[in-house]
Amino acid sequence: MAVEAGLDCLVGIDPKSVDGLFFATTTQVYTEKGSASLIATVLDMREDIITIDFTDSLKAGTTAVCRAVDTIKANKDIKSILIIASDTRKPEPGTMWEFSFGDSAAALLIAEEDLLPVSIEDYYSISANIAGPWKRPDKDKFIRTFEVKIDVQIYTQSITKVMSELLKRNNLQPEDIGGAAYYYNIPKLHGRIAKMMKFAGGVAQNGVFFQLGDLGTPMPFILLISSLRRPKPDAKMILAGYGDGADAILLQVRDKAILKSVSKNRMGVAAHQKSMITLKNYDWYLENKELLEKDRYSRKSSAVIHWRETQSLLQLYGIKCKNCGTIQYPMMFRSCYKCRADDQMEPVKLSLKGTIFTFTLDHLIGGGYYDTPVPRCVIDLDGGGRILLNMTEIENPQENVQIGMRVELTFRKQHESADFVNYYWSCRPERGRK
Amino acid sequence: MLIIIGVVDQKEVENKRGIKMVKKGIANQVAIIGCDMTKYGELWDKSQYDLLFEAVRDATKDAGITKDDIDATWVGIFYYFTGLSGATVEDVLRMDGKPVTRTENYCASGMDAFRNACFGVASGAYDVVLACGVEKLTDEGSSGLPGFKIFGHPVLPIPSAPAMFSMAATRSFHEYGWTREDLARVAVKNHSNGVHHPKAHFRSEITIDQALRAPMIADPLGRFDCCAMSDGAAALILTRVEDAPSYAHGDNYIVVKANAISCYTNTPWYVPQGAVGCDFTHFPATEKAAAMAYKEAGITDPRKEIDLAEVHDCFTITELLNCQDLQFCDRGQAAEELKNGTFNWDGETAVNPSGGLKSFGHPIGSTGCRMLTEVTKHLQNRAEGRQVPDAKIGLGHNLGGAFSVCSVSILGQAK
Repeated sequence: MAVEAGLDCLVGIDPKSVDGLFFATTTQVYTEKGSASLIATVLDMREDIITIDFTDSLKAGTTAVCRAVDTIKANKDIKSILIIASDTRKPEPGTMWEFSFGDSAAALLIAEEDLLPVSIEDYYSISANIAGPWKRPDKDKFIRTFEVKIDVQIYTQSITKVMSELLKRNNLQPEDIGGAAYYYNIPKLHGRIAKMMKFAGGVAQNGVFFQLGDLGTPMPFILLISSLRRPKPDAKMILAGYGDGADAILLQVRDKAILKSVSKNRMGVAAHQKSMITLKNYDWYLENKELLEKDRYSRKSSAVIHWRETQSLLQLYGIKCKNCGTIQYPMMFRSCYKCRADDQMEPVKLSLKGTIFTFTLDHLIGGGYYDTPVPRCVIDLDGGGRILLNMTEIENPQENVQIGMRVELTFRKQHESADFVNYYWSCRPERGRK
Repeated sequence: MLIIIGVVDQKEVENKRGIKMVKKGIANQVAIIGCDMTKYGELWDKSQYDLLFEAVRDATKDAGITKDDIDATWVGIFYYFTGLSGATVEDVLRMDGKPVTRTENYCASGMDAFRNACFGVASGAYDVVLACGVEKLTDEGSSGLPGFKIFGHPVLPIPSAPAMFSMAATRSFHEYGWTREDLARVAVKNHSNGVHHPKAHFRSEITIDQALRAPMIADPLGRFDCCAMSDGAAALILTRVEDAPSYAHGDNYIVVKANAISCYTNTPWYVPQGAVGCDFTHFPATEKAAAMAYKEAGITDPRKEIDLAEVHDCFTITELLNCQDLQFCDRGQAAEELKNGTFNWDGETAVNPSGGLKSFGHPIGSTGCRMLTEVTKHLQNRAEGRQVPDAKIGLGHNLGGAFSVCSVSILGQAK
């Protein structure tokens, strides 16, 4: 999800031009090993960038924004930082968390430039030691809480305080604010806070909860992105995150035209929502979330191959034959498939979209696929190169997978052999941008 | 040293890909003087050692020799769990330190053992050699072949064997207009032939409707489109043609006309548009191995000259496409020719008169030797109950991996 959000954010922007990647999550893949570096690698960013994981608090996303501003202000060599927030919080089956939790990712590109769609004017943070929710490493599989009422009270206090202080610091009245995107996880509290803050009607963004749920760390980002689709000219906006304290960030809509073109070329919230599919059943959900213990298909892993083939496997480079011009994949082959010339290969970036040349629906695998048949698709990538990928997010593959079908690539966990999370690309039906 | 490679003339590349005529070759130098196979099936009560022992015992008996007459051995084994190295044969036969080599070349492992054994006698290095193959699949207890890890790679997708070949089926349906019913006819024909073979795993007829109603394995291939997981072994005894008449079958020995192996990529799904094998509607390895073998054997019209062919039918689509690549019919015509009876037991070119992999299953390392044993018996006019009439020239063919390795051997009567 983080890779997808990053890819969507960087549409039309050279990833090599971005100077840093901050990753915010409460559901880090490893406790010792970062994720920002993997995401930056897959996004094909430079090596000489800063990567940081912001973890353990639901306000990690807004905190990362504040720290990005500091970093850009303090270091003249750093002009832009990509911030990605992503969470897949695993709720305990049968609890209210299970009803309300949603998985999500969102990305913001923070940059120092003359022409900006939205500018960051100020930020203000408070720290608060609150009781819950929490999750102990190695001990808790799911989020724990004490009495929820006290959490609600601290949440309400913190979020209103941080936003009020921000207004005060900038000599602003509530009616000066055109939009407020603040984290919440109980719908009725959202309205209560808007009332306490004396925001005008429609200012507080609340569109996503009933459709998508409590999205965790990316939630304020998603509320903001959703509201920026129809920007009010020169509006001042607040972005606020909550968790062990709170951050509030004051934003100013600058150039409506740039903002519009930014959202036009990207999936944004609406197109992602449109591409959602309903899970077949609860069992599928339980298995997919690894809430049911079942024997899984096991392959070996190799740290050496993962390292040696980074360009090929993570950044999806292929090779182009200097002799005949044929683009091919993977990168490990030294002699051309077509003209058989030896050692004439140069790296070439492959497209993340393509067309199915042939396919099969594989029911047979040495262990349990939870969702067979698995479509295995031979894909001609746009611009050249042929690849074999498993398809995901496909309903009724017997009917819906076809020769000539358009697909796009999506970066996914493939398996966890060697107790290591082995990522690679899968494909899925192409989705329309807005 | 700096090597500058200029622009390659495409025609020159094509010419280089043509079949090179070698000075001496292998044709008409090596004779088969004895052969046999075990019963094929889910042989729970037998190990790979039992199977190999029985196949070699019966083949040496057929040749009228003892194991002490064998100078060297080549054994086809695919999976490490069946046996590593030539020592597997030593443990079966106690050959007293004689040379044994294990060959592994996917589904062509057995036929490649035969090919290398031919070199052993043709070169004059040995007088009598043993070519054999065995596989014990059912001990693994997996449904479908135990995974083989291409490159041992951690994340590149590895389709199951049926999935690999079904990608060719999907594309062939698209290009040639074939249907699942066309595939089912292959299964129906081969199972019908298998009824008459006492060593076959399956010996009952099936109907098209039965095949179409079976569960999917790798869409569009259903259960009857796939060969079974079986155990088995086969063995052949070879010597030089001039020595052949002195063995048990006298002048009724069989002559090796050609052996060919062709290897293409392990991963055809990466073959880019425009390169050989990108179409998924033919197998370049079969095409090339067949062309090499026909050239060596002096065959110009395979459809007329080949009386019977044991063709690799690991999946029904494999047989159809292979019949085209073996030049038994034009591209796109195999389904129609099959329907018209061309490949029937008594048709113009009998394809899999034994019942094929569909009836025998596919104990991988053994299959090539099993096919050549079958062809030998037909050419010697002793294929009881299933004899292809007037069979003079026969062919064995394997295609293994992801259409990666093909073996073609052509056998003929002694004159």
